[in-house]
Amino acid sequence: MEAVFAALASPVRREILGLLLEGPRPVNQLAAHFDMARPSVSEHLRVLLDAGLVSQARSGRQRLYELQGQPLADVGAWLRPYERFWRDRLRSLRHLLDEEEEAAAGG
Amino acid sequence: MDELTAIRVDEFLPHPPARVWRALTDPRRLARWLMPNDFEPTVGHRFTFRTDPVPGTDFDGVVHCEVLAIEPERLLRISWAGGGNGLRTTVTWRLHPEGTGTRLFLDHEGFDPRWPAQQVARRAMGGGWSSDLWRRLEAELDAIDSDGEG
Repeated sequence: MEAVFAALASPVRREILGLLLEGPRPVNQLAAHFDMARPSVSEHLRVLLDAGLVSQARSGRQRLYELQGQPLADVGAWLRPYERFWRDRLRSLRHLLDEEEEAAAGG
Repeated sequence: MDELTAIRVDEFLPHPPARVWRALTDPRRLARWLMPNDFEPTVGHRFTFRTDPVPGTDFDGVVHCEVLAIEPERLLRISWAGGGNGLRTTVTWRLHPEGTGTRLFLDHEGFDPRWPAQQVARRAMGGGWSSDLWRRLEAELDAIDSDGEG
């Protein structure tokens, strides 16, 4: 998990992930977006690969880099907002049922 | 890993299953504890829940649903698709009698781990690191930065 956090700490690497959201890209296309030499971009890609945030696939003579969602998902409890939503709703359900019972008992 | 694609919560309700079932399947009652809707307790019925859009996300406030399974006072399953954000999931309520009350189990399943990653990345790119998770992540990133990460 530390490797994922470290990889995400760099704005350049976050930007690379943003570009890869649109689909797999070769390194030269990624490098074209940055004011830096291709080896520097490759270095950032290496960090992303090591963190598992990006994978490599060969397409003809090109190597394509592709976003991998799992480590970002693992980064933490991404379903927690939904869980909170359902716990809140179930509490509301209980209140509704309690109110109906009180109304029935009182009426 | 199941925890990454599903939410499972349960709640003891001190009310008999018949009452709980009515609260789950009567649209007016459902609106009071969940969201306004045009639900009908018929398999194949398509309906929506409507709420407010969530700022900073793609969610437009409409949940598109279809009734998938009904076993009166035992089970209700619906599909649950987020309008605007690509969410495709199912929600299942199961009612188990427990003493004079009911234990209600809720399973919200079928989350795609790739989907939040895209949401998260989009949010990260937009600078809107709003949720608790992202506040926590930011704190971690600050710690890494101050450790001299280049």
